[in-house]
Amino acid sequence: MDLMPQPDTDLFAHEHDALSSARAVYENAAGESACRAALGELMAHYERLLREMRRLIRRSDREEFEMNRLNQRLNELAGELEFRANHDPLTGVLNRAAVIDIANGILQREALALVVLDIDHFKQVNDSFGHPAGDAVICGVVECLRRLLPERAEVGRVGGEEFSVLLPGFGFTQARGVAEAMRGAIAGYDFRLPGGRRVTASFGISRTARGAGFDQAYGQADEALYGAKRGGRNRVVCADSVSSL
Amino acid sequence: MESLYIPATASSPEIRFDFDRHALSMRGESYPENAAAFYGPLIAQLRAYLEGCRNDSVTMDIALAYFNSSSTKMLFNIFEALNGAARAGNTVVVNWFHDEEDDTILEFGQELSDDFTSIRFVDQPVKSA
Repeated sequence: MDLMPQPDTDLFAHEHDALSSARAVYENAAGESACRAALGELMAHYERLLREMRRLIRRSDREEFEMNRLNQRLNELAGELEFRANHDPLTGVLNRAAVIDIANGILQREALALVVLDIDHFKQVNDSFGHPAGDAVICGVVECLRRLLPERAEVGRVGGEEFSVLLPGFGFTQARGVAEAMRGAIAGYDFRLPGGRRVTASFGISRTARGAGFDQAYGQADEALYGAKRGGRNRVVCADSVSSL
Repeated sequence: MESLYIPATASSPEIRFDFDRHALSMRGESYPENAAAFYGPLIAQLRAYLEGCRNDSVTMDIALAYFNSSSTKMLFNIFEALNGAARAGNTVVVNWFHDEEDDTILEFGQELSDDFTSIRFVDQPVKSA
């Protein structure tokens, strides 16, 4: 069966014509000279096809290579963009929106201990030593938190000098242990401020059962943090003991 | 012979064949749905024009920022026709315009010039916008 292509709509109209005439000669059992002529014509088309195919493929290969390179770059940039959307540019830890998202995700699966901490008298550091010194303090605090961060835990900067540590499945006792270690690390950290000035932070901890939302966890931890501030700063307060303060 | 003008679309180039002035040009991007249907009729007109050329100087400007594989296959036919006219005693110059940073199109032009030896290819790099 020979489907004749429309000459105007087939990319291979030339080649198809050449094949048809060669086939006609072949099927009609023509004499030697007719066969030679047909073969010669077919060879010319075949050579042309080879040449064109070689060029086409070389060009496609180059385009493909370039496309791959661009695609890779696109993926890198998309990854960077995603990182930037979820992270605090100064410290590289999660930003507020990402902390809320992740906390809500954890709470759908399991209980969450939430540690909220706030650098004590941070405004004084900024006012006395300038914003670059303030930024250095923020980064130093994050370094302390990261060093002591348990497996599966997350840390984020939720406000100017306020941070959250998410401890999935942790109870109060374990969470208090982590928070105490962090508090101690910050209090002992040399922030290289003039006069060897020390920096401390206050901590509040809540524990929220599965199914609740970030707002509830945060509200309780924030209340505990307020208790820590009121109680003299540089300390850890759990939400279950706030009422007794 | 009457000129041929086809305005550009998003997927097909502007065709301007001014046969009386022997000035031909194709500009734009080329990835028409059916490259054979787009190029077939204009190649037929080009061939008819070239058959009538005698010791003429024909210039073809090609400025295709992008052309797909089907269009490339049809471009080969255009070059074949031009090359034939050059072999028949006409002077055929192809100005091959490309973005100066587009090495892929530059190299393809060089390969065309290797394959169609009777055409004089002039590389025309254009500064990127």
